[in-house]
Amino acid sequence: MTTSAQTVFAPARATTAADSATLRRKQGFQHGGWFVAPFLVLFTLFVIWPLLRGVYLSFTDANISGDGASFVGLDNYREALDDPLMWDALGHSAYFTLLVVPCITVLAFLLAMLAHHIERGKWLWRLCFFAPFLLPSTVAGNLWQWLFNPGTGMINHVFGIETPWLTDKSYAMLAIVITTLWWTVGFSFLLYLAALQSIPDHLYEAAKLDGANAWHRMVHITLPMLRNITGLVIALQILASLQVFDQAVVMLDFGPGPENATRTFVQYTLEEGFTSYRVGYASAISIIFFVLIAAVALARMWLLRNREEGAAR
Amino acid sequence: MGRPGLNRRQLLATAGGITVAGSFGFAALGTGADALASSADTRVRYWNLFSGGDGSNMIAMLDAFRAANPDIDVKDSTLQWGNPFYTKLAMAAAGNRAPDLGVMHLGRVPGFSPGRLLDPWDVGLLARYGVREADFDPALWQRGVIDGQLYALPLDIHVQLCFYRKDVLKKAGLLGSDGRIVPVTSTDDWFAVLKEAKKATKKGLQTIGLWVNDQNFQWWFFVAFYTQLGGTWFDAAQRRVTFDTDKAVQVLEFLRRHITDGYADPALGSVNAEQFVNGAPFAWEGNWSVPVYSGAKLDYGAIPLPPVFGEQATHAESHSFVLPHQSDRGGGTNEAAHRLAAYVVTHAQQWAAGGHIPAYTPTLSTPAYKKLDPQSEYVSAMTHQATEPKVWFAGSTGILAQRIGPIVVSSTLGSAKPDTVARRMKSELATLLAMKNPMDGRTAAQGGTAA
Repeated sequence: MTTSAQTVFAPARATTAADSATLRRKQGFQHGGWFVAPFLVLFTLFVIWPLLRGVYLSFTDANISGDGASFVGLDNYREALDDPLMWDALGHSAYFTLLVVPCITVLAFLLAMLAHHIERGKWLWRLCFFAPFLLPSTVAGNLWQWLFNPGTGMINHVFGIETPWLTDKSYAMLAIVITTLWWTVGFSFLLYLAALQSIPDHLYEAAKLDGANAWHRMVHITLPMLRNITGLVIALQILASLQVFDQAVVMLDFGPGPENATRTFVQYTLEEGFTSYRVGYASAISIIFFVLIAAVALARMWLLRNREEGAAR
Repeated sequence: MGRPGLNRRQLLATAGGITVAGSFGFAALGTGADALASSADTRVRYWNLFSGGDGSNMIAMLDAFRAANPDIDVKDSTLQWGNPFYTKLAMAAAGNRAPDLGVMHLGRVPGFSPGRLLDPWDVGLLARYGVREADFDPALWQRGVIDGQLYALPLDIHVQLCFYRKDVLKKAGLLGSDGRIVPVTSTDDWFAVLKEAKKATKKGLQTIGLWVNDQNFQWWFFVAFYTQLGGTWFDAAQRRVTFDTDKAVQVLEFLRRHITDGYADPALGSVNAEQFVNGAPFAWEGNWSVPVYSGAKLDYGAIPLPPVFGEQATHAESHSFVLPHQSDRGGGTNEAAHRLAAYVVTHAQQWAAGGHIPAYTPTLSTPAYKKLDPQSEYVSAMTHQATEPKVWFAGSTGILAQRIGPIVVSSTLGSAKPDTVARRMKSELATLLAMKNPMDGRTAAQGGTAA
């Protein structure tokens, strides 16, 4: 329309590279822009705006009723760094992550190998391993709350033990980890399975001709070919695990667990904001958490780039 | 070209516009339909947090009110119990979309910014509908008074009880001639009773279930026994912590001893009710378990927590009616809200079926109430309530309980020594006392709720 017409019939001046780039950008927006607009509107409304608002609130003493907030500078941040409950909660989230990530990565890989190599009833295996992932967190949490029940639960009954799973501080987090493994391993399993299927057969054939046994083929072909996907699985799991919340609160009836042992960072933020009504303070600690998680994500990108450069050299 | 003057883009815009307009339209329709649904002159919107047996009792009481007052339409909404309810109520009041009537735990009222998020009751209007201060336990009524005005009208108190199985205790020789548990007035008495009861207990069952891993119950029991010892929390001006660590240690050791002497099993901490139904002789629980045990047709009784430290006192909270803040409160709707609350409070016989003790004391002396068993056995709890201090951070599942509950549990379960725990409790109380109420930026000392 008008803009493009002007550009096209621009004075005799030769179109430079910059001009054509502008042209492409403008034309690009004409089509692409409108398609992306609905998303951008929602993204701004529900992600960017709350984020900015959260940053602003973290410098105030805002309460839940939304009026009478005044600027308090860095007070919230100062208080947060001195708050033992916040550090405890951060420790619980980190502990959970430390337990879940290695377990889920190894387990997903083993299950994928199993499903990949088994000849009969492939679909059944895939379904079994992936199906739990489709459950909502409340269903998974409630289900395992029953299984872990000390009096009537199946786990203690089957193994003939009397472990106070959800009522003792040394077991409660473990119980949540076990639940999470069962519930979410399917996702990483699927990533591994897809990666396994994309390894070309001729590599294995060539290795076989060279006399490599099954173990050698796994160590020298399968594992190196899965390196990228392993990096992805670990990164996604770290980010997801640090944000652990729903299955934990469902299993512990929305409490912080025995002696606060399962109060995660997200839960503490929620409690400060919606139980203690301290929206300003809750915003400050969630910003701190945001920075920590962003640091993990950036560190991963940095490591990845270094490795790629190393490989390219 | 001969195409109609509607291109793709306009079509999309029109479709989008219709969708947006439509959703507004439906929203408007929603409010309209609400208003049209009843022919009554006045409509009272009432929010409560009662589900289960309490929920159906409340609905029955509301139906009785509707039948008696056809000119008033009651629109009741039941919301999720606990903090989600309080969050919604606070935000509705702040946004001036509050219901006409609400229910709150009495202990939470001082922290709920009375005067800003809550409107005071018109005591004259209440009196016209039959509710007078003289008909309530004085201490209970006063807990709803802040800055000289009544903000909470108590419907009930709910208390912690000692449930006992009569069939098991009879075998153990622990029932008196009146068919009730023998009197217990000291910790020695109590552990002697447990010792005998244990001998009569079936294999695989604990002697007593006292929610050893539950931060709420352990805190409530602590409050009860600490009050029996005459312990206090803060001075009258709420500037200084007067918490007595020696008394606290006594209570903590008492609670802990149930585990070390083998009467309560931490592994069964979450299944006390099931254990009691299966034949465990004792369970310490809230009175809301009465319908459960009566429904299971057990031969059982219930008394307030035993006065093992001499004085009678058991933990009590209260469901009370409040008027969430409306900038234009008044007129017929406000009067109807008063009438509804007064009606439910004075017709609470049904409510007692849920185990709660009606706050309106004339109910307690009716023959119908006296016939209720075991309700009539623990009704004395009304006159010796052990409550949390009247501060903004107290109340059912409030900040105080959330902070201190887990500390008590750590002693009961043995992961920390009682004297360490008592000191930790005291320092936590000091922290809370110095903390500003986020709703108005004032500490407890500045809050004016000292009454």
